[in-house]
Amino acid sequence: MSIGVEKYWKSWAAALLLGSSGAGAAQGAAAVSGPELVRSYCSGCHQEQAGKFERISDIRKTPEGWVMTLFRMRQMHGLNLGDDVRDALVRYLADTQGLAPAESAAGRFALERRPNAQDIDLGPEIGVMCGRCHTLARVSLQRRDEAEWLKLAHTHVGQWTSIEYSASGRDRPWWQIASGPLPGKLAALFPFSSSAWNEWQSRPVRDLGGSWVVVGHVPGGKDFYGTARIERDAGGDFAAHYQLADVTGFAMNGDSKAILYTGYEWRGSAQIGARSLREVYAVSDDGNRIAGRWFDAAHAEEGGEWTAVREGGAPQVLAVLPQSLRAGTTTTVTIVGNGLGAATLPVSFGAGTSVTKVERSAQRIRALVTVAANAAPGMRAVSTGAAVGKLAVYAQIDQLNVVPGYAIARLGGGRVEPVSAQFEAMGFTRLPGGELLALGPVSAEWTSMPFDAEAKRTEDEKFAGHFDMRGRFLPSAAGPNPAREFSGDNVGNLTVVARAADSSRTLEGRGHLIVTVQRWITPPIY
Amino acid sequence: MSLARPHRTWTAGFALALSLCMAQHAYTATRAAAPAADLLVTAAKPDRLFVIDAAARAVRTQHQVAGANGQIFTIVLSPDQRIAFLLVDRMERIVGIDLGSGREVFRAELSTSAERVKDFFALMVTPDGKELIAYELPTQLKPSEYVVEEPRFAVFRTDAGLTARPVRSYPAPRRIHMLLARPNGQSFYALGFDLYEYDVKTGKLLGTRGIQKWALTDHSQPDLLAFWPVSEPTGVFTSPVYSELKKAGGNVPMTALMSLNLKSGELAYADFEPLSALIFSTILSPDRKHAYGVYTTLTSIDVDAHRLEKRVPLDHTFYAVNVSSDGREIYLGGTNCDVGFYDAAKLEKKAILKLPGCSDQTLSTLRVIRGK
Repeated sequence: MSIGVEKYWKSWAAALLLGSSGAGAAQGAAAVSGPELVRSYCSGCHQEQAGKFERISDIRKTPEGWVMTLFRMRQMHGLNLGDDVRDALVRYLADTQGLAPAESAAGRFALERRPNAQDIDLGPEIGVMCGRCHTLARVSLQRRDEAEWLKLAHTHVGQWTSIEYSASGRDRPWWQIASGPLPGKLAALFPFSSSAWNEWQSRPVRDLGGSWVVVGHVPGGKDFYGTARIERDAGGDFAAHYQLADVTGFAMNGDSKAILYTGYEWRGSAQIGARSLREVYAVSDDGNRIAGRWFDAAHAEEGGEWTAVREGGAPQVLAVLPQSLRAGTTTTVTIVGNGLGAATLPVSFGAGTSVTKVERSAQRIRALVTVAANAAPGMRAVSTGAAVGKLAVYAQIDQLNVVPGYAIARLGGGRVEPVSAQFEAMGFTRLPGGELLALGPVSAEWTSMPFDAEAKRTEDEKFAGHFDMRGRFLPSAAGPNPAREFSGDNVGNLTVVARAADSSRTLEGRGHLIVTVQRWITPPIY
Repeated sequence: MSLARPHRTWTAGFALALSLCMAQHAYTATRAAAPAADLLVTAAKPDRLFVIDAAARAVRTQHQVAGANGQIFTIVLSPDQRIAFLLVDRMERIVGIDLGSGREVFRAELSTSAERVKDFFALMVTPDGKELIAYELPTQLKPSEYVVEEPRFAVFRTDAGLTARPVRSYPAPRRIHMLLARPNGQSFYALGFDLYEYDVKTGKLLGTRGIQKWALTDHSQPDLLAFWPVSEPTGVFTSPVYSELKKAGGNVPMTALMSLNLKSGELAYADFEPLSALIFSTILSPDRKHAYGVYTTLTSIDVDAHRLEKRVPLDHTFYAVNVSSDGREIYLGGTNCDVGFYDAAKLEKKAILKLPGCSDQTLSTLRVIRGK
């Protein structure tokens, strides 16, 4: 692809967000019906017959999928759309030819841009035929019948000649498979027509307006919680106002603007403190829960979890922070949830604990919890009335796991940003029965070492990058390095080592990190 | 527009070869002695074609190839070594460039408004220089969809000028990546899943021999992907082939050398080492006793004994390899703007020539115009 692609992807990355086109222009395009937009801008090539447009009407996709389609039409077929028209087309197509929540569930990690996620398994044939270039999530986030999947195979060979020659393509009659049995298999897995989609389309639209209680986590950082106030505007879009704080009390207030595609796909653009963030959340079927992942606008690998539950619902505990307490200590514990405020209801942290200084509201309890020195290690139920959560009690940390256990970082340079890798050290204690009890993230010191003899010979740990204080690996710059064998790139095959002190002992956990080359093509769905 | 500054000696240098085929070409040249040493032909992004004096380690001429559109892929020389036929424009156009003047003397647009046609590296010129055969992968461009069509060989007359159209075409298998002319002029080889031989005139399939279905039955399906139809100076094309030797205790990855004698048709595969370094391309030395392979290392292979002779690390990756007419120097190209000159016996670096402008040669062929 041309040099311009990366630049265009960056400008189009915001295409799903409110305000990506001028407000006035957006309203102008929105005033035109969806079918009329398709008729005006697409039917020159995609002919209309009996109310259907060739190809377009035979495909269902996510909002990101439709953005990619329109990007390709622009980049390869010269379609010139104003941003307002593009945005209106994406809304219309995602709303009327989208995926039901059940259909997008398996591939959500790709929409959420989760780093180091495990791809779905569609068997060895599709794994090679499609998965050698794409995530299979990308395959799973489309719906076509067999004839349309076959047309996609034609598109592939028509656009990318090398597909039959590259590795895992040339070892088999690629075209004969792609144009033979494969379309039928894909149509069986991901058919155009589905009861899930039919049922979803008949559901009432949920109004997300109101107050929500929020919990979340910053990998390598801290848990946070607070409230979101969401307002729905006349056009059906949303503004959210966040009052959040991490467990140390550090404020993380901000605002977001969001579009709700397909009735449940929340795509927000948030400003929290100095950071511009993207929000890829899904709304639950009953409209009372919004969950997903937020990430840095410029570095999708840097982001974390988000769960919001509508205030005033049934009593429930969303989070107990911290997740674990050591025997013989006294700690301020925060419970976040719904229906927590009744002063008449006692708060219990389970056997071996005592509670003082309880402050409570409907959405939050802060309590000073003392764990007896002889408290038995194990999971405790944290409860007040009908709201129940969990808390681990331990005497010592017995095991440290590096999470993710296997990760990828990418060198940066030129027009491509580096991709860092965030690790966390997760503590475990061993219970008398031998089973391990998870304690949550533990502070650790981070280093790397060669993964094997070859990595040691080529001094990968010297060239590939370094860790910061919070377990984030920052890769080096890309490009030929004359200091390396064959002027090689600063790639590396590393063992990640986390060390944490626990009383007089030092625990060590290990993971595996591949530091590899730049990803040149960075579409919204890999 | 050509950047050529025709060099008197250079222009004259082709006279001997030219005299053998004067009738086929309308242009004229001065009679003089053949070049005293090898000339190298390579290309670099986005549109540069270089002719290099190997002995002087210097670029003799460079031409700007109009319409190259980013990259020059395969380079095939006319039998008289005067014209370089280049696959350009994202594999959709073949041009012939007069190496002396830089003038475009041939152009075949493979694609039309209704059909996108790509040639994946595979093209050849017949030994009489009269015809060029391209491998065409056509796709019908309908308003809202692509329709993949069957591949074909398309034959062009090399004197067709700048509006060359196929004079005939015939069906071809999928996944062909190289065409090699046989010296008899009657047939040619096409490399793909297997090795096919076709009649030049009729397009009749004359025979199929195994590449994926090769004869080494104690090996796994092999992997061979060679882009550059380099058989000079011996008339034998060679390529590395990768497979696994099936053993009871576990398969062993092996590297073999495939050799195809274009004159006799002899095809041979022989392992020469358990896989220890990747080799991208190889060349057979004029004495036919050594083959040289290149990638991140430079490798010398004893062809008769089927064993690795020597291997040295290179400063960086080189994809393309060729050898001097006297067999004493190895030429490296195909990456960055470096053309390497190595001693063939010692595998020692003698010189690196930086191409003017220092743009990337990427997947351009490194060809040699043979000195006398």
